Amino acid sequence: MAENSDTGTILNIEGLNVSYPVYETDPVRALRGIDLKVREGEIIGLVGESGSGKTTLARSIMQLISRPGRVDSGRIEYDGRDLAALNEEELRALRGNDIAMVIPNPRTELNPLVTVGMQIANVARYHLSLPRKEAKKMALAMLEAVQIPDPTRRFGAYPHELSGGMAQRVVMAIALICSPRFIISDDATSGLDVTVQTQVLELLQDLVHQQGASMLFITRDIGITAHYCHQVAIIYAGEIVELAPTQNFFDNPQHPYSVMLLSAFSHNPKLRGLWTKVADALPESAAQSGCYFAARCVRASDKCRSEHPDMRGTGSGHGVRCHHPVER
Amino acid sequence: MRVMRYIGKRMLFIGPQLFGITLVSFFLVKLIPGDPAVMMLGPLATEATLEELRNEMGLNLSLPEQFFIYIKNLVLHGDLGTSWQTTRPVTEDLFLRMPATLELITLGLFLGLLIGVPLGVGAAYLKRGVLAKFSDYYGLLAGALPDFWLALVLIFFFYTILGWVPPPLGRLDFFTIAPPTVTGALLIDSLLDGNWAALGSAAGHLILPVVTLGLISGGPILKMTQSTMDRMLESDYSRYEEMCGLPKSIIIRHALRNSLPSVVTIVSVLYGFLIGGAVLVEIVFSWGGAGQYAVQGVLNADINPVLGFVFFAAVLSLIIYLIVDLIYFAIDPRVRG
Repeated sequence: MAENSDTGTILNIEGLNVSYPVYETDPVRALRGIDLKVREGEIIGLVGESGSGKTTLARSIMQLISRPGRVDSGRIEYDGRDLAALNEEELRALRGNDIAMVIPNPRTELNPLVTVGMQIANVARYHLSLPRKEAKKMALAMLEAVQIPDPTRRFGAYPHELSGGMAQRVVMAIALICSPRFIISDDATSGLDVTVQTQVLELLQDLVHQQGASMLFITRDIGITAHYCHQVAIIYAGEIVELAPTQNFFDNPQHPYSVMLLSAFSHNPKLRGLWTKVADALPESAAQSGCYFAARCVRASDKCRSEHPDMRGTGSGHGVRCHHPVER
Repeated sequence: MRVMRYIGKRMLFIGPQLFGITLVSFFLVKLIPGDPAVMMLGPLATEATLEELRNEMGLNLSLPEQFFIYIKNLVLHGDLGTSWQTTRPVTEDLFLRMPATLELITLGLFLGLLIGVPLGVGAAYLKRGVLAKFSDYYGLLAGALPDFWLALVLIFFFYTILGWVPPPLGRLDFFTIAPPTVTGALLIDSLLDGNWAALGSAAGHLILPVVTLGLISGGPILKMTQSTMDRMLESDYSRYEEMCGLPKSIIIRHALRNSLPSVVTIVSVLYGFLIGGAVLVEIVFSWGGAGQYAVQGVLNADINPVLGFVFFAAVLSLIIYLIVDLIYFAIDPRVRG
C-alpha cells in the first residue's frame, strides 16, 4: 500500500481540534491536532486510556459531539466529502448507513421499550426505505449473521432480557445491517468477559472483512489490536503520539507511553516499574509548552518540558511524537 | 397470567386497606366539634328531645361501639348511614353525585392531557423556541391561578359577555328532561337513551368546568411531560438512535413512549386529588357533585356524607392505582418481565 497516496482513502482527518468549554476556566482540549487516514478495507486500532479523547474522536466523526463540545479547527473528510459542510438531513443519511457505530454499553444504549428485532429493523427501514415486512426479514437474517442462538425467538426480546454478549451482537447487527463502508467500534467489548470478547471480536472482524468495510477500532486493551488491526494509533491527552503498521509497532514500539502500555501487560514487576512513573506534576499544567506526557515519562528531559515534539516518520510508515524515541 | 396473579394479590389487600382508611377517617371526623342533634332539631329544642334523638342515633354510645355498628352496616348492607340534610341514604346520594364529579374530572383531565402532553413534548424538543417560552409561562400561570377564579373569569367572558354557553347552574337546563340513570354520566346516559336534547344540554354545561379543570391540570401534566422528555431525549438510547441515523420523528416518538409512565403517574395523582379537589369548581358551577356534598356535610355536622365520601374516594383511588399498575404492565416490558 502506498503510504502517501490518496487513492482508496475513505476517512481523512486533518488537524482536528475539539474542546469542551468549562465554566469560568480554560476549556478542556479533548483533541489536539489529530491527523489520521483510514484506507478502504483497513482496520485501525486506536488505543488510549480513559479521558484521552477516544470517544470524542468517534463522536466527532459522527458529527455528534456531546454538548457543549465544539470543533475549534480541522476537518474530517469522508469519501472526499467534508462532513462539517453537510446539513442535518445529509448527515442523518450517513449515520448508521455509511458510517456505523458499535457501542460499548448496549444494555443501557438500546431502547428499553422496543424489541431488539425492531431496533435492528428500524435502521434498515429508514435508511434503505424498505417496507416494514422486508426490514423485519432483513433484521432476522442479520440476527442469524451475528450468530445469536434461536434468532426467531430473540427477535421479540427486549434488551433487558439479553445477556451482555448477546446485546453486543445485537448492536453489531444494527451497525452492519446497512452494509456500512466505515465502522467505528468504540470500546465495544470492554464489558464482556474474555472468552465472549474473543468470539465477538472474531465475528466482528469477519463481518467487516466480508463487507469490505474499514474500521476504526477504539480500545483500552492494546493486546487486542495485535490480532485485529492493520495499523495501531496510540492517543494520549487528545494527541496521537504514535502511529504504525501493527507488525512494526509490536516489533518496535517507539513512544515511551506505548512501551508503558505494553509493559502494563507484563508479569514482570521490574519491567513494569521501569516504564511506569507517577506524574510529578499535573500533566495539564506541565504540558502547556512541552510534551504532554513529560510529567509521567521516565525518559523526560528538559527539552521535553519546554518544547512540544512534532510527529516524525521513522521509516516504513512508522510515526512517533517524541524527542527521545525508544530504540530497539 | 402474571397479570391475573398480580390483580388477585392486589384484591387481597383492598379489604384491609379500606378498613384502615375507614377506621382513621371515622375517628378523625368524630373529632370535629358539633352536635348533629342540635343541628337537626334547631335552637328551640328541649334538652329531653335532644337526648332522645341522641339515643336514637346512637350518639351516646362509646366511639368504638359506634364504629363497630358503622362497619357492620357497611359490610352487611352496604349502608353508609343517612344524611340528615337530604334525609336519604348516603350510598344512594353518592351513587347519584359521584358520577357527576367523575364525568367532570375525567373530561377535565383528558383535556389537560391534550394540552399538556403536546406542549411538553414540543417544549422539550425545541428548547429555545417560542413554544418553550409559552409553555414556561403557561406552566407558571396554571400553577398560580386558583381554579375557582379561572372558572369565574371564563363564566364572565363566555356566558355573561358572549353568551356562548348555558348559565353555570348545574348539569342540565331546567326544562331539559334528564335521561334515565344508567351510568350517572349524563353524556353517556343521554347517548344510550338517544336523547339528543339532553346530550346537547349536558355537553354545553360541561364545557366551562371541563375547560377550567383542563387548563389548570394541563400545567402539571405539561411540566412532568417536559422534564421527562428532556431527560429521555438526552438519554443514552436517544443518542444511540441519533447515531444510527433514525429520523427525528422516530426518536421523539420513542422518547415519548419512554416518558409515558411518568405522565400516567401524574394523571393518576391528579385524578385522586381532583375527586375532592374539584369542589370549588363544582360550587362555582352548582354542579351538585360529590365534593360539594361532602363539604355541605362537614359544615353542618352531617357526619355520614363525609365518611361516605371518604370511603367512596378511597375505593376510587384504589381502583385508579390498580388501573395505573395495569397500564405500567402494558407499556413497560421491564415491569412485566
